[in-house]
Amino acid sequence: MPGHLYILVSLALFFIGTTGVLMRRNALFVLMSVELQLAAGSLALLAFSRGLGDQHGHVVAFFVMALAAAEAAIGLAIVVSVFRLRKKIDLSSIDELRN
Amino acid sequence: MNQTSDLLEKLAFVILAGGALAGALVTITRKSAVAALIALIGTFCATAGLYATLSAHFLAVLQVLVYAGAIMVLFIFAVMIVSHDETEPIALRGLFMRTTGVLATGYLFYRIAWLVVRERGTDVMAATATPPIPGFGNVASIGRLLFSDFLFPFEAISLALLAAVVGGVLLARPPHDGGAA
Repeated sequence: MPGHLYILVSLALFFIGTTGVLMRRNALFVLMSVELQLAAGSLALLAFSRGLGDQHGHVVAFFVMALAAAEAAIGLAIVVSVFRLRKKIDLSSIDELRN
Repeated sequence: MNQTSDLLEKLAFVILAGGALAGALVTITRKSAVAALIALIGTFCATAGLYATLSAHFLAVLQVLVYAGAIMVLFIFAVMIVSHDETEPIALRGLFMRTTGVLATGYLFYRIAWLVVRERGTDVMAATATPPIPGFGNVASIGRLLFSDFLFPFEAISLALLAAVVGGVLLARPPHDGGAA
């Protein structure tokens, strides 16, 4: 398959993830959209890696995966502790740090 | 024979890419977090298939193990703890600004896609046109790179994961158990 199709799929996935981050107000859905964005980035890395015949992109995608796991652990821990304090995880109502 | 395998490759790409995009769309539009999670698992499995068609076999296996396995289990536990009574998924407050943001991002991505299509004849975009070098993307070659050129980033990532584990335990611990955070 020609590589530009992979890049286009990756762009579409990233755009869907961005839309989710911007539009959803539930913190869980925002975290899921961030995972979508990370997967889209990895797909672009691997497509270019295959096109160039260079495996360094695979290593970077591996690091992205490890960081996504760390990010999910911390993000979900924050969501759970915010839920304990406030009994809801609506992002537009969490504005203690504003002003 | 060659034509059949070419057709099969195209078919696999269309199914995997369509599945990934459909799963992503379902994920960000569902009201129920469990339905969104199941769709997200489907998206990650389809992406793993796309990785495999790019000869990234090690990364494809890792995608299923780490994303569709470990991270999704974490999410399912979080959904279990956090209650389901959801306010409206799209709040009206700040809707104009956020819609503007989505439209601006959409325009940016449209321009990038236009650029990618224009440059589709270059070597970088060749992707699967030529057969890969032997051992491309398997565990042995990626592992050799990880433990030679990328040894320091690899150790740094393991430290970051350790910090994330400790931080996650500290953050998610109930505040009333007397421990000083």
